[in-house]
Amino acid sequence: MTPVELALDTQLVLVLAGVVAAIAAPPRLRSLLAGVLSALLGLAGVLTGAWALAGRHGVVELPTALSLGPVTLDPTPLGGFFMVVAGAVGAVAAVFAIGYASGPAASRTSWVALAVFLGAMQLVPAAGDLVSFLLMWELMALASTVLVLTEHAGRAEVRTAALWYAAMTHLSFVLVLLGFTVLAHAGGGIDWASMSRVDPTSRTAAVAFLLLVAGFATKAGVVPVHVWLPRAHPAAPSHVSAVMSAAMVKMGVYGVLLVSIRLMPGGPAWWGAVVVGLGAVSAVYGILQASVASDLKRLLGYSTTENIGLIFLALGTALILRAHQVSAAGDAALLACLLLVASHAAFKATLFLGAGSVLHATGERDLDRMGGLVSRLPVTATAFGIGALGAAALPVTAGFVAEWTLLQAVIHGGRPHDRMVAVTMPIAVSVVALTAGLALVTFVKAYGIAFLARARSDGAAQAHEASPSMRAAMLIAACVVLILGLVPGALAQAAARAVGLPAGSAVTQVGFTHLGARLEPLAVLVLVGVMVTAVALIAKAAARKVPRREVELAWGGGGVRASARMQYTATSYAEPLTRVFDDALRPERDVVVTHAGESRYLVERVQFHQHVVDLVEDRMYRPMLTLVERLGVAGRRLQNGSIHRYLAYSFFALVVVLVVVAL
Amino acid sequence: MSETTYTQLLQLSAGLLLLCAVLIVWRRSLGAHIRLLAVQGWALAGLVAVLGLHEHSAELLWVSVLVATLKGVVLPAVLARATASDRTRAREETPLINTTAALLAVSFLTMLAYLVSRPVLALGSTAAVAAVPVGMAMALFGFLVLSTRRHAVSQLIGFLLLDNGIATVAFLTAGGVPLVVELGVSLDVLLVVLILRVLTSRIRTEYGDADLDDMTELRD
Amino acid sequence: MNGSVGVNVSAATFATSQVLVLVVLSPLLIGLMRTVRARLEGRVGGGVLQPWRDLRKLLLKEPLQAQGRSWWAMAGPVLLVSSSLALCALTPLLGTVTFPSLPDDLFVVVSILLLGSVALALVGLDAGTAFGGMGSSRHMMISALVEPTVLLSVYALSIPVGSSVLSRIVEARLDDPASVLSPVSLLALLALTIAVVAETGRLPVDNPATHLELTMVHEAMVLESSGRDLAWLEVGSWLRLGVLLGLVSTLLVPWGVATDLTAAGMLVAVLALVAKLAVAATALATVEVALAKVRLFRVPELMAGSFVLAFLAVTASYLVVQG
Repeated sequence: MTPVELALDTQLVLVLAGVVAAIAAPPRLRSLLAGVLSALLGLAGVLTGAWALAGRHGVVELPTALSLGPVTLDPTPLGGFFMVVAGAVGAVAAVFAIGYASGPAASRTSWVALAVFLGAMQLVPAAGDLVSFLLMWELMALASTVLVLTEHAGRAEVRTAALWYAAMTHLSFVLVLLGFTVLAHAGGGIDWASMSRVDPTSRTAAVAFLLLVAGFATKAGVVPVHVWLPRAHPAAPSHVSAVMSAAMVKMGVYGVLLVSIRLMPGGPAWWGAVVVGLGAVSAVYGILQASVASDLKRLLGYSTTENIGLIFLALGTALILRAHQVSAAGDAALLACLLLVASHAAFKATLFLGAGSVLHATGERDLDRMGGLVSRLPVTATAFGIGALGAAALPVTAGFVAEWTLLQAVIHGGRPHDRMVAVTMPIAVSVVALTAGLALVTFVKAYGIAFLARARSDGAAQAHEASPSMRAAMLIAACVVLILGLVPGALAQAAARAVGLPAGSAVTQVGFTHLGARLEPLAVLVLVGVMVTAVALIAKAAARKVPRREVELAWGGGGVRASARMQYTATSYAEPLTRVFDDALRPERDVVVTHAGESRYLVERVQFHQHVVDLVEDRMYRPMLTLVERLGVAGRRLQNGSIHRYLAYSFFALVVVLVVVAL
Repeated sequence: MSETTYTQLLQLSAGLLLLCAVLIVWRRSLGAHIRLLAVQGWALAGLVAVLGLHEHSAELLWVSVLVATLKGVVLPAVLARATASDRTRAREETPLINTTAALLAVSFLTMLAYLVSRPVLALGSTAAVAAVPVGMAMALFGFLVLSTRRHAVSQLIGFLLLDNGIATVAFLTAGGVPLVVELGVSLDVLLVVLILRVLTSRIRTEYGDADLDDMTELRD
Repeated sequence: MNGSVGVNVSAATFATSQVLVLVVLSPLLIGLMRTVRARLEGRVGGGVLQPWRDLRKLLLKEPLQAQGRSWWAMAGPVLLVSSSLALCALTPLLGTVTFPSLPDDLFVVVSILLLGSVALALVGLDAGTAFGGMGSSRHMMISALVEPTVLLSVYALSIPVGSSVLSRIVEARLDDPASVLSPVSLLALLALTIAVVAETGRLPVDNPATHLELTMVHEAMVLESSGRDLAWLEVGSWLRLGVLLGLVSTLLVPWGVATDLTAAGMLVAVLALVAKLAVAATALATVEVALAKVRLFRVPELMAGSFVLAFLAVTASYLVVQG
C-alpha cells in the first residue's frame, strides 16, 4: 500500500468516524469530537494532496452497489493541489467550528453533513473517473445544501437562500453531466484517458466545453450564475461559509482546469476568450456589489465572485496565450491562476472566520451597526486585518503575490501576435486594475467600519473575544496568508508541478526569467520594515519628550460632543461609489421628508433608505421565475383531481403513440 | 528627410489628430470643440505636408496648404460665428450619454478601429499604413459625436470629425489624393457646412433653439 | 559574488541618497508651490521655508488623543511616512541601479503607494467623526478610480521595453531620447500626470488649501490628528507628492539620472532632480492658479478621460511595434 492509498483510506475512515461521532457522542462532547475528527480529515486531505503533488501514485477502489462499477480514487498532481487547498480550509474551519457551533449548527445533522461535505469535497479532485467524480460532486452539493439549511427554523431568508442554492447547484450538476456525456460519447469511455482522446478542435469538443464551463461556472459563482452565492453565504453558519467560499467554489475552477488543461489541452483560442469574458465580468461586477454591500458576509460572498472572476481571467489568459504560442507568459498566467486559488482560499477563510467571530461576539452581520471592535476583539481584528490585506492584494500577503504574477503574465503577453491577444491584454490589465482599486475600497471599508472608530450599536459595544479554538483557527489561517505571501516560492513550485511546468528553485521568490520579472516579498518587507523602524524610533524619542495626552474629544468635527451616530457608516462610506457607478448598480433610493408643521422650510425628520439590488437577479432571473410560475399556474388546469381525466390522458397518449407507430 | 524623422513626425501628427478627436468627445464646451477642430485641421495639414516632403510631391504640399486653410482657418471661423451669435448655449448641456460612458465608448471604438484595419495593416509595414487605424478611429468618434449630441453645432462638429477621419485614411493609404479631388471634396464639405450653418440659424430664429430633440417636431 | 555585493552597495547608496534628498526637498517643494501660488495671486506668502518651520513646530507639540481612538491613530501616520520613504528609496530618481532582490517593479511601487493610502484612509475612519469618514471615503474612491490609469499608462511605457521595472524604462529612455517624444510616450505621460494630480490630491481634484466641508478630501482625514501625528501625516503626503512628481518628470526628461555610481554622476543627478522638481512644482502651481476644483462627481469624468488616454497609448504602442 502506497502512502497515497493509506492517506485516502484514512480519509474514508475519518469521514465514517466523524459521522459516527456526530451521531453517537453526547451533546456536550459532540462538537469537540466531531470537530477534531473533521479537522483530522482535512489534514489527511492535505497530506494526500501533498503526496500526489510530489508525484506519488495510489489508487483506491471502493465497491459500490451501483451498476456503474467501483468508485475510483486516483489523485493526480493537479488534483493534489486542490486537495491540499480543500483539506487545509476544511481543517481550519473544523477547528473554528468546535468553539463556534451552537444551537442548530451543533446538531447531529449539522455535524454529519459537515463531515460528509468536507470528505466529499476533498475527494472530488481525487476522482479517477467520471462516475466517481460525479458521485463526489453530488455528495458535496447535497451535504452543503443541508448545511446552508442549518438555521432554517429561526430565519426565513435561510429557506429562500437554500432554495436558490439547491436550484443552482443542480443546474450546475445537470450541465456538467450533459457536458461529460457528450465528451464520453465522443471519446468512447467514461474514464479520463478515453475522454482525453477527443480532438479539442472538433465541434463535439466545443459543445462539451461550453456545457462544462457553464456547469462549473455555476458552481464557482461566476456572473451571471452567481446568484446563489451572496444569498447562501450570509445564510450558512460562518465556518460553512468559509469552506464553501474558500474551497468549494474552487472545485468549479478545478473542473474547468480538468477540462481545458488535462482532458483537452490545446483547445482553440476562443475557449480562452470565453473564460476571460466570464472572468472579467464577474471580477468587476462582483467587486462593485461588494463595495456597496453593508452585510459583512454578503460583502465577502460578492468578493468571492470577484476573486473567482480573477481566477477565470488568469486561466482564460493562459488558454489564449498558449493557443498563440506565447508560452512564457501563458505559463505565468496559468501559475497565476493556481496562486490566486491558493491565496484566495487562505484569505477568504480568514475573513469568513473573522466575520463569524464578529457575528458571535456582537450578533451583528450589518457593518452599519459595528465599530470599535479593535480594542474589544484584538485577535479577531488582527486576523481579519491580515485577511483584508490579502483580499486587497497589498504586500506582503499571498493575495499580492498572486495578483503580481497575474499582472506580469498579462503585460508580457500583450505583443500583437494576434488580434485576440492584442485586444484581450489591455482589457485584462484594466479589469485587474479597476478590480484591485475597488477591492481596496471594499476592504478598507470592511475593516475600518467594523473595527475602528466607536461602536455603533450596543451589541458592538459589549462584544467579547472568541473562544480559544476560534482564535486559534483564525490565527492559523491568517498566518498562512502571511507565510504564503512572504515565502511564495514553495507554493509556486507546487503550483508549477500541478500543471506540469518547470518549477523555480528559490523558496523566497516568484520569478520568471523569460519575462525578466521577479518578486521577493521578504525584500519588500525588509525595506518597509527598515523605514517603519526608523520612523517609529524618532516618534518614540519624541514621545519621551512630549507624551501623548488623552482628551475627551480632540476636535470632534467642530461640535461640542460627537455621538457615535454621527460617524460614517458602511453605507455612507460607499455612497460616492454608488453614485459613480449609478448606471451599473441602480440602487433603489427613497427619501421621506417630514416637515414640521406648516412650514416647507423647517424639516422635522428626513428618512433615507437605499437598497442595492442584484441587477442580474432582478433583470434575468425574476422574469424567468415569473414565466415558470405562470406556466405552473397554467399547468394546474391540466389536473383537477378527477380520475377520469387522468385516465383520459393515458388513453390519449396511447392513441398518439399508436398513430405515430402506424405512420 | 531621414526615415526615422519621417516616421516620428508622422506618428506625432497622427497622435495629435487622435488626441484632438478624444478631447472633442471629452469636452462639452462648443468653443473648445471648435478650437480642437482647428488644431486637428492643422495636424492633418502637417500630416499631409510630412507625406509630401517624404514623397517629394509638390502637389501634396499644395493639398496641405489647402487643408490648413480650409480645416485650420475657414471652417473653424464659420463655426465660431455660428456659436458667437448664440452666447447663451455655448455648451453641449445634455448629451444623450454621459461623458464617462462616451469616453469608455471611445476606448472600445479605438480597439475596434485597430481591429478592422488589420487587413489594411497587412498590406504593408510602412509608417503611413501603421497609422491608418487613427483615421479609422477618428471617423468612428465622429459618428459617436453625431449620434449622441443634441446641439446642432455639435452635429456639425461630429460631421467634420468624421470627414477628417476619412481624409486621414485617404491620405495615409492612397499616399496622396490628387489635388483636384481634394479640392472638390473640400469645397463640398465647405458647402455642406455653410448650408447647415444657414439652416441652423434660420431654425433658431424661427424656433429660438437649436436642440435636435425639439426639431423632431419639425416633421409635422 | 563580488559583483552582486557591489551592485547592492551602489543600490543602497542611491536609495539612501534618494531618501535624504527627498526628505529635505519635499517640504521645500510644498513651500515653493505655495509661494508661487501666493505670488501669482498677488500675496506675499509664507516663504519657501515655511513648511519646514511648521513641521518642526508640529513635531515638538504633544499629540492629543481623543477617547475611544485606537492605536491606529498613532500607527497609521507612522505607516504612511514609512510607505512614502520606501517609495523614495525605490523609484529611480537619482540612479537606475537597483537591488537585485528588489527591482523597482511598477506593481510593487504601486502597492507600496496604496499601502500609504490605506493607512491614511484608516486614520480618517478611526477618528470616528463625520468628517474623517467623509474624507476617507472620497479619498479611497479617487484611489480606486486612479489605479486603472496608473497601471495602463505604465503598461504602455513598458511595452517597448518589455519590462515593468521602472529603472529599465528610464534606462531605455536614456539610451533612446527620441522615444520620449513618441505619441505613445506623450499620451501615457499625460495620463500619468492626471493620475498623479488626482492621487496626491491637487487641483482640480482636491484643493489642498481648503477646509470647506463640502469639498475637502485630504484635509478632512487629518482634521482630528494633531502634534506629531499630524506632522507625520503631512510629511508622508508631501513625500508622496515629491516622489510622484519626480517620477513623472524623470520619465519625461530622463537626463541626469545616473546609470552607475560615481561621485560626479551623483552630484549631477541630485542637481538635475532639484531642477526637474523645481520646474515641475512651479508648473503645477501655475496651472493650479488657473484651475477651479471640479465637483467630486465630475472627478470620474476626469479619470475616465485619463484612462482613455492611457488606453490609446497602449493601442498606439501596438501600432508602433507593428511597424
